[in-house]
Amino acid sequence: MPDSTTSPEGKKLSCIEMLQLMLEGDATLEQQQNFKAHLDECMPCYKSYNLEVTLKMLIKSKCNGNGAPPELVEKIKTQISQNMPH
Amino acid sequence: MEEEIRQNYTEAEKLQVFHDEFMPHINSMYNFAYRLTFDEDDANDLVQDTYLKAFRFIHSFEKGTNAKAWLFRILKNSFINDYRKKSKEPAKVDYQDVETYYNSDDVDRQITPDLRVESLQDMIGDEISNALNSLDVDFRTVIILCDLEGFKYEEMAKILDIPIGTVRSRLHRARNLLKEKLTDYAKQMGYKNT
Repeated sequence: MPDSTTSPEGKKLSCIEMLQLMLEGDATLEQQQNFKAHLDECMPCYKSYNLEVTLKMLIKSKCNGNGAPPELVEKIKTQISQNMPH
Repeated sequence: MEEEIRQNYTEAEKLQVFHDEFMPHINSMYNFAYRLTFDEDDANDLVQDTYLKAFRFIHSFEKGTNAKAWLFRILKNSFINDYRKKSKEPAKVDYQDVETYYNSDDVDRQITPDLRVESLQDMIGDEISNALNSLDVDFRTVIILCDLEGFKYEEMAKILDIPIGTVRSRLHRARNLLKEKLTDYAKQMGYKNT
């Protein structure tokens, strides 16, 4: 009987597969709960998960850049309006 | 191959779709373009080309669907076709070799690098950004699409024209390379602090 720590094919998910499922954001609520419980007893998963989540958050906050230059935005808008039939 | 349904937009609807659905993504598009080209002028040209193409082919875009993924796909293709070819820098990686190698057992290897959450949190400067930029373009791209822009694996597969399994393995490898780079930075920081 497959449970939430098994794949649809019934194969037991490895730590890394569970971790990927969590990071992918596609884990079901039950899979999330099971994974959280698993973290209490698996130090490598706990460390990897925290590291990955922290890294993801840092990438999001540090790599966003300054946004498109306003001149570029205006240039594109102008070109589009010029392309329209009058 | 998905069947393309031609949309019959009026001129006013075209403008509305363009402004309401395409323009809101311009900052993400510019950031992606800049991280692909590392040049402000090239990034400007790439984004401009992408938006003009998107407008030209707007009849193949279905209103209310995933505009961001569609735009990213156009930008990625423009980059490969127009910019990567022009680039003087030779491709550093033989793509097929990389995929073959990393689709092997190596993918299942779980690296627990000597990198702590605390060390990452101490990286308050450009370390994360520089480490991302140091990755080869194909690895850099999957990190940007997934971690920065929040695309799902399925969307990434469509943007990059690769199978989902390849998205997964490439992302896994990219994250490991990023962590290796950050481990180097952490060590350097440690040396400075002692």
